Order: sequence, then C-alpha cells, then structure tokens
Amino acid sequence: MRRSTAAAVGTLTGAALIVGVRLSVQPPAPPAAASSSVDLVGDTPTESSSSKAAASSKKPAASSSSKAAAGSSSEEKAKSGLKDGVFKGKGATNPYGTVQVSIKIVDGKITAADATYPTTGNSATINPNAVAKLKQETLQKQSAEVAAVSGATYTSDSYQESLQAALDSAKA
Amino acid sequence: MRHVEQVMGTAVSIELADDRPAGELRALIDDVCGWLHEVDARFSTYKEDSEVSRMRRGELTAESCSDDLRQVLVACADLWRDTDGYFDAYAGGPLDPSGYVKGWSVEVASDRLLAAGSANHYINAGGDIRMRGSHPDGGPWRVGIRHPWEADKLSWVLALTDGAVATSGTYERGDHVFNPRTGQPARGLRSVTVVGPSLALADAYATAALAMGEPGLTWLAKLATDGYDSAVVTDDGRAFSSANLPAAV
Repeated sequence: MRRSTAAAVGTLTGAALIVGVRLSVQPPAPPAAASSSVDLVGDTPTESSSSKAAASSKKPAASSSSKAAAGSSSEEKAKSGLKDGVFKGKGATNPYGTVQVSIKIVDGKITAADATYPTTGNSATINPNAVAKLKQETLQKQSAEVAAVSGATYTSDSYQESLQAALDSAKA
Repeated sequence: MRHVEQVMGTAVSIELADDRPAGELRALIDDVCGWLHEVDARFSTYKEDSEVSRMRRGELTAESCSDDLRQVLVACADLWRDTDGYFDAYAGGPLDPSGYVKGWSVEVASDRLLAAGSANHYINAGGDIRMRGSHPDGGPWRVGIRHPWEADKLSWVLALTDGAVATSGTYERGDHVFNPRTGQPARGLRSVTVVGPSLALADAYATAALAMGEPGLTWLAKLATDGYDSAVVTDDGRAFSSANLPAAV
C-alpha cells in the first residue's frame, strides 16, 4: 500500500511540476520530440499500460483535445503558451527507483502523459502494472497424509474432534 | 517424540523430530510447556494477577512493565498500523493482546528449541503452526489446511521446512473476530490462512484479513511481496491462493 501510494504520489507530483513549469516559467530550450526516450507515438494519446495517476492526468487531456478538434486550435495555443512537442520531466527518485513523467503537446494542449516506473528487482513489485492478485481456484476436499493441520483456533474441548487430535493419538 | 499440552485455552501439539535420546527430547518439551504456561500466567486477560490485567487496572505502565510485555505492545502498535487498523489490541475496549501473544509465544518457543539444538520440530497451538527442519521420515513437514465446512477434510496441503502457517476462521468459535471499523462480526471470509517466516505476524495478518472481509483478498495479495503467502475461502465457498503458496506436490 505505502509503496504504491509513494509511486502514485511521485507520478502526480512529477506531472504537476512539469505542467506548472510549462505554464508559469519561460519555456526552456526546444525539446525535440526525437530526444524523448518515452514512447508517445502517433497523434492519439496512448491508452495503455500506465498507472492510475497517469490515467487521471489523461482525463483533462482527452476532453481538451476533443475541444481542439472542434476548431480553435491556434487560439488555444496562444492562450496556453504551450509549445508543441514531447517533454520529459526530470526523473524523481524515491527509495523504490526513479519515476519519470512525459507529456506530449499538440496544438498547445497536453494530449498524452505517461510515466516510466522501475521494472526490475524489488521495485518491480510496486510497478502499478503488476498489482498482485490472489488467483481463484476450486475449493478442494481431500484426505491426504499430513503431519499437522492448520485451522481456525479450537478450544481445549473442540480439539478432541479435530483432525490434529486424531493425528496426535495415532502417533502417540 | 510427540506431546499434547492443554494451555492458553487450547491444545498445543508438539513434535520433535531430532535424533536424540528420549530424555533430552522430554526435557526440551518440558521447557516449551513451561514457557507456554508462563506466558498464559503473565498475559491472559482471564487471570486477575496477569501483567495484562494489571496494566488494564493501571497498576503497570509501559515504563514499569516487563520487557516481554513492552515488546508485545510495540508489536501490536506496529500491526495496527500495518493492517490499516484491522488488527486492534483495543478493539474490545481495554487492552487485549491475545491475538498476538499466542503466535508470538510459539515463535519464541521454537526459537528456544533451535537454540537448544532442536533443528527439526513443529509446534501447533490450536491450529497455528511453527515448524523447522524436516519430518521424522525426512523431507518437509506436510501441513493440511482444514476444510472450512468439513472438519475431517483438507482444502490445501502445504510442504514447509521452515516457516509458519496460521489460520483464522469463523467456523470454529463463531463470531469471535470483529471488524473494528463497524463493530460488527467479520463477514465475507470463512477461512484465512497466512504462510510466512514468523508465526506472530502470520497469525495477526490472518486475523486482520478475516476482519476486513472480502477486501482482505486484495490486502493479502500485497503481503506476498513481504514473503507472506495466503489461502482463503469465502463465505460462499470460493477459494483463492497466492502464486507462491508452498503447496505440496
């Protein structure tokens, strides 16, 4: 819980910082789309793989890109002051690895946001793509030979009817 | 050598599989039983003069209590945090660390056995088991998980050489686990088994997941990264297990 929360918070913070910097500060050196190491191919935002945090940051992008499609793209661009291209955030490093956020600007609008997560070692366990789940199976009903039986705690009395008691008396 | 001891309101089964003279094994078993009775006397909420009862009455404080009790209180606080509050030694009002003490006392007993040279043994305290080494015939200890409706059947069989298996369920003593958030008896899960390195933690995790109900399935899945696997049966008979549950082949 805390690890994945940390990853999500890191992602959100990263995304917020990038957007904040883009909106408030003078845009720095031209970021070439080619320099991006993150896969943000094509015109459509990649509907994939990434975390809840990335997914939620896509929402406004989706609605605004549909607005842009409706018409006034150049006006929007002027208003937002965002340059087109793919922008990569500075990686934020937490104890579980480095999270790096990227956004894609088309017509002055964020049309895609993505984040890279640690995928190796311990860090892979908090990769939001690999959330662990218990697997469902058929409830067995078997009588195998065992040395001991685990079950809900019995009382001294109900022990007498337990399989463990039968094992104990058989081997005594 | 096998032995069954009535202590802590339940039956504790002990088996030592070491190839040693009977007298030595007997002495080791006596030492384990002595420790478990000592724990019962010091930590039971039913005994007026236990340390826990004295703390409840304010006669002992966290500063003036024994190192053992202080260690138990710290562990309960850690578990309260790690289980999102579902393991709560104060769920019923006054301090009741029983949900931790049994598993912890068996963990300590197994450590003592190892220190005394017993590398192959198991202790089953009312269905919660700590084992080490191998079975008298060689190979791992085979542990059955009781079927939650049929007392003479097993729903899983595990094989372990070193570790703990703890099960919490609603089928044995009725509504004895409560959801501390609602104050209502736990619903949704009928049997929760947790397998891992420490019986003290495995037992507390199983109880916490049972209290959570069905959301406990997701919570348990996350424990696998810390080395605690699980096997669960819901009230409506669905079975779930984690990928690395050490099932016997």
